Amino acid sequence: MAPLLEVRNLKTYFYTQDGVVKAVDGVSYDVNRGETIALVGESGCGKTVSALSILRLVAEPAGKIVSGEMLFDGIDLLKLSKDDMRKMRGAKISIIFQEPLTSLNPVLTIGRQISEGLEFHKNMSVQEGMEEATRLLKMVGIPHPERRVYDFPHQFSGGMRQRAMIAIAIACQPQLIIADEPTTVVDVTIQAQLLELIRNITKELNTSLILITHNLGIVARYAQRVFVMYAGNIVEHGKALDVYHSPCHPYTAGLLGSVPRLDEPRKARLQPIEGQPPDLIALPAGCSFQARCAYSVPQCLKEKPVLTEIAPNHYAACWVSQKGLREWQKQ
Amino acid sequence: MATTVNAANASSRPHHTLWGDAWVRLRRNKLAMAGGIFIIILALAAIFAPLITPYGFARQDLTAILQNPSSKHWLGTDGLGRDVFARLLYGARTSLAVGIFTQVIVLGIGLPIGAIAGYAGGRVDNVLMRFVDVMYSFPDILLIILIKAILGGGIYQLFFAIGLVAWVDIARLVRGQMMSVKSRDFVAAARAMGGMGPYITERHLLPNSLGPIIVSVTFNVPRAIFTEAALSFIGIGVRPPTPSWGSMISDGYAVIFASWYQVFFPALAIALLMIAFTFLGDGLRDALDPKLRH
Repeated sequence: MAPLLEVRNLKTYFYTQDGVVKAVDGVSYDVNRGETIALVGESGCGKTVSALSILRLVAEPAGKIVSGEMLFDGIDLLKLSKDDMRKMRGAKISIIFQEPLTSLNPVLTIGRQISEGLEFHKNMSVQEGMEEATRLLKMVGIPHPERRVYDFPHQFSGGMRQRAMIAIAIACQPQLIIADEPTTVVDVTIQAQLLELIRNITKELNTSLILITHNLGIVARYAQRVFVMYAGNIVEHGKALDVYHSPCHPYTAGLLGSVPRLDEPRKARLQPIEGQPPDLIALPAGCSFQARCAYSVPQCLKEKPVLTEIAPNHYAACWVSQKGLREWQKQ
Repeated sequence: MATTVNAANASSRPHHTLWGDAWVRLRRNKLAMAGGIFIIILALAAIFAPLITPYGFARQDLTAILQNPSSKHWLGTDGLGRDVFARLLYGARTSLAVGIFTQVIVLGIGLPIGAIAGYAGGRVDNVLMRFVDVMYSFPDILLIILIKAILGGGIYQLFFAIGLVAWVDIARLVRGQMMSVKSRDFVAAARAMGGMGPYITERHLLPNSLGPIIVSVTFNVPRAIFTEAALSFIGIGVRPPTPSWGSMISDGYAVIFASWYQVFFPALAIALLMIAFTFLGDGLRDALDPKLRH
């Protein structure tokens, strides 16, 4: 069966005073029905932009989807009219934003904001919408939903607001949910609760999920496949457990080394990835990770590596890996 | 289980809507409440003027001209023997009508233009705002006099003349508010749920811009009243015998040394109404300021 979403060679650029920022530069990935994939990478590597591109909500006029194809259920989202695209948003594809406080309108009740999408896409009346909102709040684990539905965002705690955001996202039973770092603003215990909630709901509704995160540690548990992004490109992808246990790109290895792991003996110190991501306006000619890479070979400076199958269904864009010199795995 | 206990406590707290909160804060502000009560009393007195004073605003009693305040004529009489207190009460009708109706016109023009410019941005914004700039570059009083000259005399023409000049401030304010609210995340979230322009403007942008707009209108009311008084003072405001505080001051000015109260009482009335609106506006600004929300 064809995947639910197939992104091919997506390029989203931002035209700024200083030059063209290639935030997403030729990214391809696909999401199967009912599957959870993870987009992983540091801040500013293009994860959020590639997700917003799917909804065609990149801030214009500075940002522009330059080329690519995004086949959703066989339809190219980039070819849809503005109006048809609007009918997709919320109904077929929805998004959970990072900041639940600023993403909720302070002057509307939680219930009204949940029922908003239902009013747009399911022609519900306000009253029907509120009833459905109550049911949804109950589903995401808000106590006393029949009262809470009339609350304003400032009366909710951080974790509850994010639950409300989840309720908004699932209101119209979309086929695809994009969760853009849904747990960055809450503490670790709530983070686990929220991720479990998202996982249970997507399972229950058979929804596909794109989980955007910078924490590779949570990926193995919640996603089936992982796409690691660096400087606007996908540098590695494969099954979550494969990537987690045997990373084929030194960047992925670096990401793994920088988070504490409970399944391995404790190291004295976490290993940060030295340096900064490259300037997306002036990318180096060769591998964009080369300057920060401890394993680079002369070829890395000259030629940009392309995604190659290193192990079965496990791809990486790395010259070192292709030569079979994966020294980072010996640590 | 701590979370459920907390949640139960939280939900037993009384519900405060945003406007409810603002009302509570406004009620705590004594000056603002005094201003509001003064305006309400004045409005009631103006509406029920015939019940309060036996004299009509145009009734001349030539046997009692230029009388000092007495038990018969509380605030004295003017040069035509008209009761000053009665004229003050009926004059309040003019002032309050000018204050309110000009703001209706101001909002009617300024709100949509500002909202469209702010939401649409780009070229639409440029065209509309350059038009506002042109309007802005005229001196207010001159433009009002000009419009009034074209429209002719009468109180409705006066509303229009003041309204047609004063809307530019609101348009600019609304545009600025729209632009700042537009960039907030929940607007992006509403668009991500499939919201469209007019809906987002009406449901997300306007309600979030309302506080400053209300405050601005409250401060604009006394400005309009003052403009009317100034126009009436120089003789191009409302037509006699309709009383206006401005024209009363103008009339009394001629006899200021003979009977000072003819200038004093209307001037006092204008001053009190200005202060009342200013206090109310200040109070509203504090009450509606989201930063003071707790």
